Amino acid sequence: MEWFNERSGFDRVWQSLFARHIPEAKGPVAWLYTLGSASLFVFMVQAVTGALLAMSYVPDPGHAYDSVRYINEHVLLGSFIHGLHKWGATLMVVLVVLHMLRVYFMGAYKYPRELTWIAGVGLFLLVMGFSFTGYLLPWDQKAYFATAVGANIAGQTPVVGPYVAQVLKGGPDLGAATLTRFFAFHVLFLPALTVLLIVLHLFLVIWHGISEPPVRQR
Amino acid sequence: MSSGPEPTKDSDLSRRGFLSGLIFGLGGVITAVLGGAGTAYFLAPAFKKEAENWVDLGPVSAVKPGMPAKLEFVERKRDAWVTAERRSFAWVQTSNGRDFTAFDPRCTHLGCPYRWDSGKGQFLCPCHTAVFDVNGKVVSGPAPRGLDRFPIKVVGGRLMIRPQPEKVKA
Repeated sequence: MEWFNERSGFDRVWQSLFARHIPEAKGPVAWLYTLGSASLFVFMVQAVTGALLAMSYVPDPGHAYDSVRYINEHVLLGSFIHGLHKWGATLMVVLVVLHMLRVYFMGAYKYPRELTWIAGVGLFLLVMGFSFTGYLLPWDQKAYFATAVGANIAGQTPVVGPYVAQVLKGGPDLGAATLTRFFAFHVLFLPALTVLLIVLHLFLVIWHGISEPPVRQR
Repeated sequence: MSSGPEPTKDSDLSRRGFLSGLIFGLGGVITAVLGGAGTAYFLAPAFKKEAENWVDLGPVSAVKPGMPAKLEFVERKRDAWVTAERRSFAWVQTSNGRDFTAFDPRCTHLGCPYRWDSGKGQFLCPCHTAVFDVNGKVVSGPAPRGLDRFPIKVVGGRLMIRPQPEKVKA
């Protein structure tokens, strides 16, 4: 351990990451400070379960639904891993929104933490992107028509709407090209962007320290 | 917490020690459950047995003693979420009408389909002149071993095979 510390400075890294000073908060207010870590934890669970699911999933209209059924019915603990990913996705949205509300109502986004807030907004949008693209992947009736509705909403944008919808769908119709597109976004682009923004967000959180709970003025 | 006794410096379990124990304990439990489930999911294929896939070749009466018959079949094989359909055939022979042998229709030399020559009473491969007798033993030619066999059984007067060849030891 001494050998490792001397060559990595790990004890100082540990000190500044985990043994740093955080504001004193009591009772329910203290729990509000856990929402960010909870989001990070759920993200890690999603990454691991997602990688496992990708081992037996095909983003192809002919086989997507059957491969999801295969995971649920024939893979050991497949339905558990799938369930974790599905409920984790829902919990992720809930946690991220609560975290955002906490930061907003405590005014924790103010100087000098604006950039942390901006990174957080980016992460929120990425979570929305994960939800939208991931919802299509099971390729059941609900997934198909939810995405059809989503694409139609995008299509209502003035002037550029039809083009946006076609880019989303990978063509004029919702089909094979849409599924591969959404899959690529769900497992390649969005995770990479999310990791980048998480690193920035966490760096800023630690750099600025966590803001004190607001004090009631008389 | 606002109430409770203040921990002394040399007490056995300080508040900090208790909490960090709790964090690492719970963290360990969560890691074990998630990691264990993930590892089981990942490693499960190692313990999966191949499903026995018996294919119907038709009635026993299709094969006359001493007269090997070329029987066609369609194999439906479950490959994870895909069901693959494969058309193929097998050579089935019997000497007494009760015990049957099914041969893989590919020559053991380089995989050509051979044929039965009823005049000579031998299986002849057109590619490199390999010759096998009615029991699949090598008579002459370049074949390294006798004809590969499919497991075969008779169920209710019908021939059933598993179309995965078993190599005959030389």
